[in-house]
Amino acid sequence: MSEESRTTNRPLPVERHPMQGTCPRCAAEELRGYPVNSEGGWFDVVKCQSCLLSVSRDRGPRLGPIRLLSDLL
Amino acid sequence: MSNLGIPATAPTRIRDLTDEAFRAAYGCDRFTASVIVNRLKYAVGHMSTAFLREAFSPIIRDWYDFACTISGPPEQDYRTAVVSNSLTPFLGTMPDAVRNTVEEFGPTGLAPGDVLICNDPYRGGTHVNDVLFTRPVFVDGRIVSFVSMRAHQLDMGGTVPGGFSATKRDVYENGVVIPPVLLWSKDQPVRSTFSLIFDNTRWGAMLLPDFKSIHQQLQLGERLVRENIERYGPDAHLGALAYACDTSAELMREAVARVPDGDYTGAARIDADGMDDTVDYTVHVTLRKRDHDIEADLSGTSAQARTCINCGISDAKTALGVALTMLLDPAIPFTSGTWRHLDLVAPPGTLLTALPPQGAPMMFWEASGALIAAVFDALNPVLGENAVGGDYGSTNTHNANGVRQDGTPWTSATQCGGEHGPWGATKAGDGDSYTVLFNLNNLDPATETIEHDSPVVMLRKEHAIDTGGPGAHRGGAANLKDTLWLTDADHYLSPFRTREPSGVGAGGGQAGPTGAMWIFPPREGTDGPAGLVATAPDVYADSIPVAGVLDPETKSLDPVNGTYHHFASRKTWRTRAGAVLRCLTNGGGGWGSPFARDPEKVLADVRDEYVSIDGAARDYGVVVLGDPHFDPERLRIDMEATTALRRARNRG
Ligand SMILES: [Zn+2]
Repeated sequence: MSEESRTTNRPLPVERHPMQGTCPRCAAEELRGYPVNSEGGWFDVVKCQSCLLSVSRDRGPRLGPIRLLSDLL
Repeated sequence: MSNLGIPATAPTRIRDLTDEAFRAAYGCDRFTASVIVNRLKYAVGHMSTAFLREAFSPIIRDWYDFACTISGPPEQDYRTAVVSNSLTPFLGTMPDAVRNTVEEFGPTGLAPGDVLICNDPYRGGTHVNDVLFTRPVFVDGRIVSFVSMRAHQLDMGGTVPGGFSATKRDVYENGVVIPPVLLWSKDQPVRSTFSLIFDNTRWGAMLLPDFKSIHQQLQLGERLVRENIERYGPDAHLGALAYACDTSAELMREAVARVPDGDYTGAARIDADGMDDTVDYTVHVTLRKRDHDIEADLSGTSAQARTCINCGISDAKTALGVALTMLLDPAIPFTSGTWRHLDLVAPPGTLLTALPPQGAPMMFWEASGALIAAVFDALNPVLGENAVGGDYGSTNTHNANGVRQDGTPWTSATQCGGEHGPWGATKAGDGDSYTVLFNLNNLDPATETIEHDSPVVMLRKEHAIDTGGPGAHRGGAANLKDTLWLTDADHYLSPFRTREPSGVGAGGGQAGPTGAMWIFPPREGTDGPAGLVATAPDVYADSIPVAGVLDPETKSLDPVNGTYHHFASRKTWRTRAGAVLRCLTNGGGGWGSPFARDPEKVLADVRDEYVSIDGAARDYGVVVLGDPHFDPERLRIDMEATTALRRARNRG
């Protein structure tokens, strides 16, 4: 097939929810909440979007967005 | 700041701690901590050596497709402190795999002598063939560690024998998914679990002795951990595990801090999935670096593929850690602490964060390898001389099966495609020409064992000329492999990155060229080719192209004006006895300007047939006189012509 007729599968964005408050380190009013995966797996964080300080960091669901039907047992 | 028992950033470097502070933090003095960590490295090394010696499966025995780790108890969040010297895709995902497997099963339900297994990619990374085996180590009724292995099983059910294929469309076609379940209970085999596996997989007779060997190695690992604890005490053991992880975290923190603050974006592309060639896939990463932290955002990455070329979040996180370790400080020990200062932010349902049941992961290392390429793409421009050229980008995996004349079935997996190939060049020198991808770390099967196990003859396994990306340091040469198949065969072929170079240049170096794959059918009325297929561009006209961007008439490489051939345009590539399969990998990327390469090195490359005489002039501006093939000792450089050519190039 020709290189012109193909497409790239659609890109997906991450959603970052705006949060109230200012960053205690750099005073930026750019706190946002979203999940991250790091040492120890998933965390729900509120981070300063300017300096990346984690204002809060709580354990997220074990498999992130994946839920098991067996969890309903 | 953490409420999860995860250490906050140490205010003092570990080596600057006083002896008292070190003992308070790690339950022993610093010498004892080092001794214990090294004894644990010995333990995983001993487990690995023993398994390599005992394994029946060729992919274990000849590829080293397994890994061993030692991690902490639940109170230490199962952090992995010590890993064997093997596959990074296993070592990076095993921390999540052990934690998720034990937590779902319930650590309080475990007893001494248990072996818990799980092979679900969404719970622990990689693919269903890779089974995690984890064993708790108890002291005085309390879990103090887990010793774990992950080992590739030659088959795990599903629609394709051996599993390696891009064509499977969902987790049901992919293979059997084993949730966290006991394979041994108090050192007694759990028959129902064994039956579940053997009733749903092929070649169980090969899997069974390997499972038994794994059980032995886990017992060995447990024994070695217990010996440490008897000698040094449980506090010192647990402290040494924390010390190992903190060391990685601290070194990565310092390596990250050396990168200038900024937002860096990179991308890499996979040609197509196993459905058709209308869609390609982009891996996109933005690395936001502030102080000693990096947040890697995968926004912009393509939605998950329609067939099983995806990977999961643990694989993506592993690739991020591998790429940053390679670029920023290769001496950093690979532990859970590697990721302490790295946050991966990723939309669910992408090629790199696939979701069940449609986003099946089988060829996971290809997708996660593209993330490594994207991280290199993002950071190389700011790394100066530490930039690194790209690798061959895809293992171009071959997987085939058939039946011998006596009726016995055979299978050949990951041996006869372009599984091995070159790395890019670095500031230290030319790229290696025959190794595995950046995110793999294992062996090359011996030709003799390949020919012994399957009805195949390895006709060529050689460096292809003019395929190392030109540079002051040359990229590694592409590998060209020809295999002659002695019976009819069904092949599954997976070269994923032939549309654009994966071996990108660094710091003014040039990219290595793209590769391709062809089948040469046997001549009519014969059971083989007339002879060894030559390597000149005029030999391909009668071939069946499998993959690559090729001239429509000659079917030889033409990356600029050629036509792309899709590796899964036939789901199964069926060949008659006597067919030859040719795989040419991509070349490695060069480092630094090729016109700054020492002419003597170019002469040596011509002598060794890494570079042709034409290539020396075209790519390096070096004029070499003589005949490299028939009179190599009298090759020489025409210095005057070289100076003139390089001057003209510099002006141009
Ligand atoms: Zn801030």
